[in-house]
Amino acid sequence: MENLDAARLQMAFTLIFHIVFACIGMVMPFFMIVSHKKWLNTRNPIYLTLTKSWQKGVAIFFVTGAVSGTALSFELGLLWPEFMKHAGPIIGMPFSLEGAAFFVEAVALGFYLYGWNKLPEKFHWFTGIIVGIAGVSSGILVVSANGWMNAPSGFDYINGEFLNIDPIKALLNPAWFTQALHMTLAAFTATGFAVAGIHAFQVYKNKHPELHKKAFKIAITFGAIAAILQPISGDLSAKDIAKRQPVKLAAMEAHYNTEKGAPLYIGGIVNNDTQEVNYKIEIPNALSFLAFGDFDAEVQGLNDFPEDERPNVAMVHYAFQIMVGLGTLLLLAGIFFFISLKKKKWSLKKRYWLLFTLLAPLGFIALEAGWIVTEVGRQPWIIHKIMKTKDAVTPMPGMVYSFYLYVAVYSILTVAVIWLMTRQIKALNNSKI
Amino acid sequence: MLYVVLLFLAISLLLYVILAGADFGAGIVELLSSKKNQEQTKKTIYRVMGPVWEANHIWIIIMIVILWVAFPKFYNVLVVYLHIPLTLTLLGITLRGVAFVFRHYDAFKDKSQIVYDWMFRVSSLLTPIFIGMTFGATVSGELIITENYTDYSFEELFIAPWLNIFSIVVGFFFAGLCAFLSSILLIGEAEANNTNIYLRKSKIATIVIILLGFIVLTYGFFNDIKFVTAFVNNPYAIGLILLSALLIYPLLHSIKKAKQILSRALAGLQVLFILTAALITHYPYLIITKQAELSLLDGIAPESTITVLGISLIVGGLLIIPGLFHLLKSFKMIKILER
Repeated sequence: MENLDAARLQMAFTLIFHIVFACIGMVMPFFMIVSHKKWLNTRNPIYLTLTKSWQKGVAIFFVTGAVSGTALSFELGLLWPEFMKHAGPIIGMPFSLEGAAFFVEAVALGFYLYGWNKLPEKFHWFTGIIVGIAGVSSGILVVSANGWMNAPSGFDYINGEFLNIDPIKALLNPAWFTQALHMTLAAFTATGFAVAGIHAFQVYKNKHPELHKKAFKIAITFGAIAAILQPISGDLSAKDIAKRQPVKLAAMEAHYNTEKGAPLYIGGIVNNDTQEVNYKIEIPNALSFLAFGDFDAEVQGLNDFPEDERPNVAMVHYAFQIMVGLGTLLLLAGIFFFISLKKKKWSLKKRYWLLFTLLAPLGFIALEAGWIVTEVGRQPWIIHKIMKTKDAVTPMPGMVYSFYLYVAVYSILTVAVIWLMTRQIKALNNSKI
Repeated sequence: MLYVVLLFLAISLLLYVILAGADFGAGIVELLSSKKNQEQTKKTIYRVMGPVWEANHIWIIIMIVILWVAFPKFYNVLVVYLHIPLTLTLLGITLRGVAFVFRHYDAFKDKSQIVYDWMFRVSSLLTPIFIGMTFGATVSGELIITENYTDYSFEELFIAPWLNIFSIVVGFFFAGLCAFLSSILLIGEAEANNTNIYLRKSKIATIVIILLGFIVLTYGFFNDIKFVTAFVNNPYAIGLILLSALLIYPLLHSIKKAKQILSRALAGLQVLFILTAALITHYPYLIITKQAELSLLDGIAPESTITVLGISLIVGGLLIIPGLFHLLKSFKMIKILER
């Protein structure tokens, strides 16, 4: 394996891992404070037990997210020193603000976790809110830095040098808003459905159904609302990419030839040699409409771009199909949940709980697929049209061993966290309320 | 604004060394305690560090961010040539943080605790050693900075700078410093009949530090390590070290009188002196390679970046420091009330 491939795989692997933990650590505090609020309002001890159980989850995920985030802040430099040398001064602002937000989150979490029966009740609850807000802010800031890689701005690139740096313009790059909105909603969808699914499974097994039903309802409400809102943000993203990174859009759609009134391909098998997509469903003119709001608009195809500036088409296309497909499924599930609030009979059936159990991992699969679309879709560039990934990689040979080391450590951590979570649930089911 | 940024860099380095140092040290003290005292130490550590340990470690992130934003060229040398010790440090931070949380938040307290405990203790010792080795490597004079990577062997470029006697001793010196800080902290926190354990530990740690510091200097002096020769010839550096040594007397006195705040402040001051002595010896040339010296201020970021960074740091600082202070104070108050 070449150094570049090993470094890319290591980065991908750590990001895939970190994103899951960061999302849960960012979204779960909201479930926790809703449950906490319900405890304060109703004094129903079930809510207290639930809040305390969720706060342990938050603590475990926060720390795992924090340490893997620390690892990433090192890895950016360790793996891509040339990138950081030039990009650091430009995109430092979102990172320094992210550091501040993260710090606020850690301080607030300290107050929250250790403040039971010690701090005034309302203030204690409020520190939980700060945890949530700070978490979402740091998520948005990090995504803004990623947005800059897709839409570099805030500097002039003259003769290979980065001049006239404007860090604020770089922070507010053209991609930051659409990406941050899409990611925030995705985080709520994925975490909402995942947490709801875990509790649905407990209801399905008839363990403490009263508690788990309450937990399910809080989590799924967040997830369902986010899933229903997501298509709006997805549309904004698509139109944005069509303008800024037409080659990425072309890869997402496996669209080889420039044409007016371009059709939308759903599914299909990509054959990069013959430049054909077999077994697809084709919707005439739909791609032109989705990308530009005009059924006859011209959509650029991959062949308009030099061969060494195209990403891996098949991977981007499949990942995009997975993201959209699962997103749509979760949207329907969200609507189904809201209808079930009216039709109370549905939730008496075991099948209802089994359904939501099965949906649990889908949000995260969609979210990871979405990141594959945006990251692999940006290749071969690390900074779009400015610096190639292969020019940014560390000169130190033997990155493949580093990759193996990370795979080993992170795999063990993943297994350990899952194991701990099952123990948390077991303890929760054993608790007397 | 550059001075604001430098000030924040220095403050975060200092706070990281003192706060995270005490945190690492706690694990070292636990590792080196007898079986009977280990349980006791574990409980004390949790009570003292639980609410704040996460915040303690964020200083390193602030440091890294300041380095890469404002001093990209300097940072570039660190991440390229010290890739391996930094990765090892990272691994240690990860395993240690995870173990700390696992052992306190696992729903069942059973045999798995043994695994978490050992993971926590061992990584608490190894991580500061790797951090110290990284520090040592930057001034060891073994670094080779080049554009032509193929002219040198892997070992020369990426291993020799940190895997040498000087850097290793610096690593152990830093770990000793951590253990010292932590035992001073724990003296004030332990229950009355346990304070002697930590008092003894802090005495041992002090002796170890003096011994290792002496070894670093003599080894460096006789092997012509540029940094050490500059250090012993710098009257301010030597003055600060002597001052730090003299503080041992008031420190012992304040421990005897059970003045916890004072003894912690004194211990912190000692570390501050040692660190400052090391920093001023060669400032701004903080990296000393085989061929040359590299200034922190070489290839510094453009002024617009420095200005924005300075402002973000001030705003962030205003937001965080009162919160952090309040956090420390609240739990201190609670502890006093509980007594």
